[in-house]
Amino acid sequence: MLDAGRHPNIKIMAYSEVEDAKGEAGNFKVKIRKKARYVNENICNACGECIEKCPKKAPDSFDMGLRDRKAIYIYFAQGIPAVATIDKDVCTFFLKGRCKLCEKICKKGAIDYEQKDEIVELDVGAVVIATGLEMFDPSHLTQYGYKRLKNIITGLEYERLINATGPTGGHLLRPSDKKLAKKVAYIQCVGSRDLNNCNYCSSVCCMYAIKDAMLAREHDSESDSYIFHTDFRNVGKWFQKYERRGKDEYGINYIRGRVAEITEDEEQNPVVWYEDTIERKVKSLKVDMVVLSTAAKPSSDAEKLSKMFGYELDENGFVRKNLPYPSDTTVPGIFACGFSQGPMDIPESVAAASAAADRVMETLAGLKLKKRA
Amino acid sequence: MSEDVLVIGGGIAGIQASLDLAEMGKKVYLVEKKPSIGGIMAQLDKTFPTNDCSI
Repeated sequence: MLDAGRHPNIKIMAYSEVEDAKGEAGNFKVKIRKKARYVNENICNACGECIEKCPKKAPDSFDMGLRDRKAIYIYFAQGIPAVATIDKDVCTFFLKGRCKLCEKICKKGAIDYEQKDEIVELDVGAVVIATGLEMFDPSHLTQYGYKRLKNIITGLEYERLINATGPTGGHLLRPSDKKLAKKVAYIQCVGSRDLNNCNYCSSVCCMYAIKDAMLAREHDSESDSYIFHTDFRNVGKWFQKYERRGKDEYGINYIRGRVAEITEDEEQNPVVWYEDTIERKVKSLKVDMVVLSTAAKPSSDAEKLSKMFGYELDENGFVRKNLPYPSDTTVPGIFACGFSQGPMDIPESVAAASAAADRVMETLAGLKLKKRA
Repeated sequence: MSEDVLVIGGGIAGIQASLDLAEMGKKVYLVEKKPSIGGIMAQLDKTFPTNDCSI
């Protein structure tokens, strides 16, 4: 991340979206909307004094809404570019026309309430789509009780809870009473491998649930984890070994069976009802907290971009690969990599990204040769 | 004809593609809709196989 920020050949355009695109390989004209931050990127040094004094709060989307940030905020501490942004939808000045506290506090004069969205036009020879994933919202799967019952969270929310820089400082405090969750159940395939929702395996959840359960034990030696899985799909180098390690060294309980329903007792402890498919019995288990391993979906912008550039998506909304070149889309000059192409983990995304970069180089070199001939 | 490249998405895939292209001498525009790059991976605590920090 830091390398990308420092590289002289990379211009990072954060807080920006592609607005319009036309052209063909070698000659794309793309319009980018650079959204107004109301803070001058070239002046702000992310000192954070304005954030300290800002009186207005809003849910922090980076921390999955588990804590609040201010109306003027830095998306996350190590983020690049390191500059503050004003959330126009909650800022008192934009809503009521008074306050301007951040402007008074900023010694560098970086605050600019007059800033407007900017349209930047780019001429590029090739495009790489790397729009990634979005987490599936399990609220409508009422049997799991997400948002209805308090102590039920998603995998990504768990990541923020267990993170030392997260809202609880790395302690696994459950939402209802902020008590340390000792007994945690992980429910696999929430939305994935489901004909009515995501009709595919998200591929990363088995491994992240095992990792999450390992981290819980590392943070607290008395923690007890139960992973309810359809069947483990840990296919990759060392994955199987990792799964065994989870059981042998970290004492994780693997239970094969899909969960039918989650209820709650009078102390807001979730009770998981499931069928143990090994013993062929319906059972229940009371836990302190439940983590839903939710499916990962294509980004909400995937469809808009595909229409703009004219490439095809597959039946699940991922970018269709133009085989035998897995980095190619159905439009020449446009390539894709990462989760935008379908479920893949971090190493696979990195490999796919390098492959896409190589295809870009090949294509541009080919076009150049053709032009010369 | 332009030889510059546009990368849409500043997560781990977009960052890696940008770095590779930049190293190979191309001018890269890396567009990200959130206020800073990093994507989902920046939100993760630790990752497989070593359970080390993700960024």
